[in-house]
Order: sequence, then C-alpha cells, then structure tokens
Amino acid sequence: MKMRKLLALLLAAVMVCATLAACGGDSTPSTSKPAESQSEKATEKPTEKESEKATDAPSSEEAQPSSEEAQPSSEEGPVTDLPREETVYFGGLQWGVVATWNPIGVTQNNFAISAVASGSRTIMFETLYMYNFMDGSLQPLLADGDPEWSDDMSTMTVKIKEAAKWSDGTPVTATDVAKTLEVSKAIGNGTATTYGAYIDDIEVVDEKTAVFHLALNEEGVPKNPLLVKDYLVGVYVCQAAWMDKVCERNNNDASAILQDKAEDVVWSGPYTRLYDNDQKVVLVRDDNYWGQDESMWGTLPAPKYLAHALYADNAATEVAFKAGQIDVNQQFIGNVQKMWLDEKLPISTYYDDEPYGVCLGMPTGWFNMNIPVIAENVALRKAIAIAVDYPAIIENAMTNQSPSFEDVPRSLMNPTAGEQALYDHDAVKDLQWAGNDIEGAKKLLDEAGIVDSDNDGWREYKGEKITLKAVCPNGWSDWQAAMEIVASAGKEIGVEITTLYPNADMYIPDIQDPDQKDYEIFMWSPATAAPSSPWARVMGFMSKDYVGVKNNGSGNWGQYVNDEADALLKKIPTITDEKELKDAYTRLTEIYLTDVPSFSLMYRPAFFDAVNETVWTNYPSADDGRNIPPANCVSGYGIRALFELELAD
Amino acid sequence: MSKGYRKYFGKKLIWFVVTLFFAVVLNFLLPRLMPSDPVASIVNKVIGSSTDTTAAQEMYNHFAEEFGTNKPLITQFFIYVKNLFQGNLGTSFSQYPRKVSDIIKTSIGWTLALQIPAIIVGWILGNVLGAVAAYIRKGWDKVVMPVSMFISNIPAFGSAIILLYIFAIKLKVAPVAGAYSYEMIPNFSWKFISSVIQHYQLPFWSIVLISIGGQAIGMRSMSIYELNADYVKYSRFLGIRDKKIVGYVFRNAMLPQVTGLAMSLGTSIGGALVAERVFSYPGLGSTMFGAVTSADYPLISACTLMITLMVLIVTLLLDVIYGFIDPRVKAAQFDA
Repeated sequence: MKMRKLLALLLAAVMVCATLAACGGDSTPSTSKPAESQSEKATEKPTEKESEKATDAPSSEEAQPSSEEAQPSSEEGPVTDLPREETVYFGGLQWGVVATWNPIGVTQNNFAISAVASGSRTIMFETLYMYNFMDGSLQPLLADGDPEWSDDMSTMTVKIKEAAKWSDGTPVTATDVAKTLEVSKAIGNGTATTYGAYIDDIEVVDEKTAVFHLALNEEGVPKNPLLVKDYLVGVYVCQAAWMDKVCERNNNDASAILQDKAEDVVWSGPYTRLYDNDQKVVLVRDDNYWGQDESMWGTLPAPKYLAHALYADNAATEVAFKAGQIDVNQQFIGNVQKMWLDEKLPISTYYDDEPYGVCLGMPTGWFNMNIPVIAENVALRKAIAIAVDYPAIIENAMTNQSPSFEDVPRSLMNPTAGEQALYDHDAVKDLQWAGNDIEGAKKLLDEAGIVDSDNDGWREYKGEKITLKAVCPNGWSDWQAAMEIVASAGKEIGVEITTLYPNADMYIPDIQDPDQKDYEIFMWSPATAAPSSPWARVMGFMSKDYVGVKNNGSGNWGQYVNDEADALLKKIPTITDEKELKDAYTRLTEIYLTDVPSFSLMYRPAFFDAVNETVWTNYPSADDGRNIPPANCVSGYGIRALFELELAD
Repeated sequence: MSKGYRKYFGKKLIWFVVTLFFAVVLNFLLPRLMPSDPVASIVNKVIGSSTDTTAAQEMYNHFAEEFGTNKPLITQFFIYVKNLFQGNLGTSFSQYPRKVSDIIKTSIGWTLALQIPAIIVGWILGNVLGAVAAYIRKGWDKVVMPVSMFISNIPAFGSAIILLYIFAIKLKVAPVAGAYSYEMIPNFSWKFISSVIQHYQLPFWSIVLISIGGQAIGMRSMSIYELNADYVKYSRFLGIRDKKIVGYVFRNAMLPQVTGLAMSLGTSIGGALVAERVFSYPGLGSTMFGAVTSADYPLISACTLMITLMVLIVTLLLDVIYGFIDPRVKAAQFDA
C-alpha cells in the first residue's frame, strides 16, 4: 500500500517537474533585456550588482516584451500550436540555443541570422542584394536596380527601393546603409573584419541613394571591388535609429555592443521572432512586410511560421526528416536517393539524379610546405595526387553526390557553368588528372629519384623513408573516408601514408598555425561561392598574403608561395576585360596543376537541400525553369521559394 | 549532541572542504590542459574566411583578451576563483555570448526532471525484484537473475536506440525527438502536458531499464547473504513470523543500496547523456557533451563543478545520516 502511494506521488512529481521544465526552460526570453549586455562585462570586472544581474532573473522593468508567451503580430492571443499546414520546418541550420538576435553582434547561432556572401539568410534581416549561385547574379532586395560603378571603379552607387520599410514603419534609407558600416567599423564586428579594409565609407547622397567609396591602394586603384560585391549580398542593413539605441545603452563599449542580445531589434524582412528556447526557434510572418509591394515580391511568403527544432545530431535530424517533421533539411544524407527509390518517401532533391545537389565547394587535401620532403618534391606531390582513387571517394564518401573529375575536370573552379567558363579548358588539358594513375605516379617518383633503395617496399628520399600523415577532423566521416583512400593510394605507389583524426577543435588551430609540421597532408575547404568567386577561392589556394599569418582562417594553409600567381591574384579584382580575366585564370590554373600545392578530393554542395513534400510542395528543382537556387528557401535568392511554396494535396 | 558526534562531523566537514578545494583546482585545470584553442574557433565562426588577415588577427586578440586566455594559467585561475565566489561562472565559448549560468539554468531542470524520477523508479523496481528473487528463489530467481544480468549489460546507447527504433520508428507509438511536440509552443494546457508526458516516456524508460538490472543483482546478493545470517536462523527458532523476518532482512540489505541510490542521485546532475543525445532531449548531458567537444572551458568547469558539489554534498549528508542511524559507522571511524 505504502509503495503504491509512493509510486503515485512519484508519478505526480514527474509530471509536475517535466511540465515546469518545459514551461520554464525558456532561456532567451526569460533573460531578455537590452541592459543584459552590460552585465556580460561582469566576466572581466564584476561588481556585486553586475554579477548579481548575470546570474539572476531579470527584473520586471528591464524585461522587454518577451516571447515566453509567444505573441503573433496580430491580436489573436498567444500562439500555442503551430498548425502543420501553416508552418515550414527546417533541419540542419541550427544546432544550439539562440545566443542573440543581434545582426551587428557576433556568433548569434541563430537560424534567422547568417550573414555570409555565399547566401545570407534574409528571412528577418535583409541585404541590399541577394546572391544567386546558379548564375552568379545579384538580385536587388532592399536595393533598387543594379549598382552603378564609376569608370575607375572607385565608387559604386546603390539606390534603395521606395517601398522598403522597417518593421516600425519607417523607411529604409541610405543613412541606414551608411551607419551599418560606420558602426561595424567602430565595434570591429565580422563585417568590419571582412570588408572594412576595402570600403573607406558610404556617403549619403539623399534619402534613397548611397555611394560606396572604395579603399584605394598605393597606385590609386580600388583595392578590391570584388569583395565590395560580396558586401552587397553578405551584410545586413540595420536601422540607424536602433543602432544608436544599442550604442547608447552600452555606453559605446564595443565589446558590450557585440554581445547585446538585441531583443528589441528592428527588422525589415518578412519574418520575425515568435519564440525560442532550448527546444526550438520559431519565426512568425510579419504581415506588414514591405516586400509584398509590387516593386519586390508582390506577395507575402506562403508559410505563416518558420520553425527549427534543435536536434542532437545528424542522425536525429534524419529520423525527424523521414518522419515528415522536417520539410527542408540541410544535412548530408548518404545515399539520399534511397529515401524515394527504396523507402518511397515523398522526399526529393534539386536534381533527381546524381549529384542531387548543386556543388559549390571543393574539399581539398593540402600539402604542408613546411615539411622539406613535400616542399622540395613536386613529383611526390603530383604522384600522390594522381594516384588517388577519386571515383572511390565520390562513390563511397559522397555516395555520388559530387560530379566526378572526369565530368568536371580539375581546375581552380567549382562545377557551376559560370566558373567553368572562366578558364581555357584546352590549354590545361594535359595537366589535369582524374586519378587512379598508379603507373604514372610510380614513373614520376622513379624519375625524381625517389625510389625504394633498401627493398622494404617503401620509397626513400635522401636515404630516409618517406612517412606522411593524412589528417582531417574526427567524426567528419566522408572526409575520413577520403583520407583513407589517399592513404591507400600511398601504399600503391610505395609512399607510407598513415591517417590521423584529431578532434576538430584541436585540428583547426593546428592547421591555422603557419609553422605547424604535425600534418603532412590535411583536409580543409576553400571558399565556396560568392560574387567574389572564384577569386576568393583561388586566393585560398595560392595567395602569399596568407603565408606566415598566425591564426590564419583565410586560406593557403599549406604555406605555398608562387610570386607569379600572387601577382595575378592581386590584379584580378580590378580586371574588367573578360579575355584578360580568362587568361589570368587559365594561367593560374596552369600554375596550380603544375605545382600541385593541394589537390581537391571531391565537389560538395555549399547547402545540402533535401525536401520532404508531405505538407509543402513547389520547391525549387532543376527542371522548373525558375532559376531559384536550392538554398534551403532562406539563403540568398533561394528565399524566393518561400513566396512560391504551395500546400501539397 | 555529544562530543563524539561533534568531533565526527567536524572531521567530515574538514575533509569536505579539502576535497572541494582540490576538486575546484582540477575542474579549472583539466579542461585547460586540452590541446585546443577555443578562441580560434570563435573567430572562425565570426568571420569565416576573411581575406584581410590583419583584421582577423585583431579580432583574435580581442577575444583572447576578453576570455583572458592570453594570461598566464595561474592568473586565469585566480580570476576564476574570484568570479566563482561572486557566483559568476563566466561566458561560454561555444555559445558566446551566453552566460554559463544561463545555460546551466536552462538545462538543469530537464536533467533533474528526467534523472531523479528515473533513478528512483529504477532503484525501487530493481530492489523489489532483487529481494523477491532472493526470498522466493526457485523459478522466479531463474528468470529474474539472467534477465537482470542481460539488461544491466546492454550499453545505455544500445537500449536507447532499440527503444527509439521499436516504439518511435517502427510502431510509431512514441515521438522521435524532443521534450514536447515539434508543433507546440510551451503553455499550460492539458494538450501540452500530455505531449510532455508522451515525450518523457522513452528517455525515462531507457534510464530505468538500465538501472533495474544492476540494482536487482545487488539486492539479491545482499538479501541472500542476510537470509543466511545467524539472526535470521535465530529468529526462526524463536518462531517469529516469516513476514517479520523478511522485514528485518530487507532493512539490513538496504543499507548499501541506499548508499548506491544517494551516489546515483549525486551524479545524476551530470545528465543522462545517452538518453539526451538519442532522443534529442534537452539537459545538462548534451550541454556537457557540446562543451567538451568544443573545448568550452568555462562551461566544462561549471558542469563538472556542479557534479562535484552534488556528489560531495550527498556524501557528506550520507556520512552525517549514517552517524545517526548506524552508530557502528561512527565508532569504526574512531577505532581506525
């Protein structure tokens, strides 16, 4: 009897605890207050009052309208259910609790905020233009028409759409555009770090006209117009009035502004925050969105809610995707075609057949030039590169979600038509390789005098056995598979290559250290696609600017130096003549394929994009003629898909 | 309180403080001995692949300064202890700019709501099964023992994945992930509460199942030992009823089991990592996992500190309680 009572009590306690945890586990709103950012400083200099604030719940007067009770923009009362036919669910775009809603802050880890040139997410905050990686075009968003360049490319004029408005009803102006750069430079955020050196300032000509003044080099030539194009599609325009408020409440302290939670942020995009906690993030459509004006989309996006649940890992996301609880999924799924071919699920990808997605990236094996045997022997580098079984990597590691190097011969370009047209294929034909050339590799090594002189099965250089490590982060299974295949190629040609898989957080600082000699061959990806492509990627492959730089997150991690390549790279951003540009890229490709400072192992999508059409349909696909990129319906011009989604029957 | 008790508790308290001191030192030191650079990871996240290396380096220096990772370890330690006394656990690296205290506050409720009931239910069921097996023996024991052995030896992730596969994926009677329906926003309604309960089942039972087996085996052995003790035989000679004897036996066999329960409750704060990962259930386990994989020193230190504190407090309480309920324990301490 006692036991029964105890059990009943226990079960009741369980229910209460779980419910309380569910309702009280809401992190962001419960600490929501603009003043919070001041308490963040408490780490350094905690005063009694500040540290109290840092740990305690906010006082009621500080609390902003929180989303603890999710309020829709209309006056219908708190939202408790997200009707399936009004909500698009996402997967693979957010992996932790939202840290901030601050578009000028840092590391927001926010499903709505990702300001990158390959495709900024423009669901809540908007950029001047949207990047379409399918054709490399810049589509106007807040901007009206194309940017106008001066003849010497030292200035660029951008007009703002008349209809463009902030969520508080005030117009988006050139002042907002100028202030965004100004504040960014003052606080040193990602925008300033990435673009600050290339734009001196933005001049406000009138309310709707902004002129970008580009930074000039010693010769009076703009340093880099290409990166200014990246700025147009990468940087969110923020409201000047709101930024003034943030700066003021943080006493212009850069660090505090960067950490401001910005729960009072003013936005211009079609959605805004409804609710977020440790389980999910939900955005709700702003029915007053300016973009329904005929000068922009002419309509509102179809789904009322955009939701992203926080899953523990890829496996959990895949289970939910198959169960129809995720509509748009951004994750690598091995053999994705089995979902529709074998399991008969209503799942699809951009292309019905291989490679299923649009590949923009080129995960690459880098040779470490700090290692003498590698630096001194082009033959060794090339031998390893041509011996690798790339078809096996593409088949096993990528489950054919990459074109082969026979379909898209190796160069510095990704497989998009725009980039492929940028170099002379015939000129470099003899230098390209598709892999598996064991005999050719052996011949190269023999000719270079790298032979097995002691008959132990392994080749020696200057009397010493060559022993190399092929390294990539642990748990990155497709990359690990690639490294294994590189190692077995080594065995075939008599060069000992062992694999090593350190933790990613150990690995990244290691490869960014210009003096590292731990990894002879290591994997990383250069830039994918952006208006500055392929220049930014080629910089990553060969620029001398990155050699010897500590904490180098930019590229050329193998420390390769070629002065001719470097001179060409410095020139390219200001070349406007198409032929000259093509000649430059062709020459760079020749140098790259001759010197083999690194070798790409596969092509890979920048955005994995698989959709479950149980509830929503009319997602972008290759044959629909709409030219909408498969960018998860949220990134760059890919957002157009949200305005054209339809309910499935 | 007698002098003996005071001396006993005083001694325990001193040990508590000494252990706590070393625990704090280790909590600080161990994560920082990992060969990684979390500041570089943050900078990477912020700027991606900036082509302006000077600006990137400036940002690196800014964060190194802010987190104090550019200072000597000993200075970092004193800052850490000073902040600790002020209740400031620092700012997380991996979830920057969230405060560590905020992160822990969010996840600890889930962990306790899942772990404590599961541990207690597993403990009760396991002990009842074990005691019954020891008392009845025969057929019952032949079933309970091997089954318990089998269950207690399934790795936690194995049983969780099996439960997920059978009930969520194949039978579709349980949800696949989360702590409540993916279509809901928390609110006080019966619909929501029932969703929470529904999502609670699989993670809960995956923990209960694992703990039942071990508890049953322990309790069975203890009970068999006690059943053969002299006092049982003597009681039987005296003609005391079986039910009464079983009561004595159960109580005596329970002592070590109670210690076990207290320790499990102490460590429960570490979270049910496996259940949380497999069922995408929120809690401290996943938080710690994320912290370790991203070398988030402040968060790791805070989580391990919480676990250490809980275990130390539970141990201290046990010692105190034992001093009262079983004077032999106190006496033994002083004999030694």
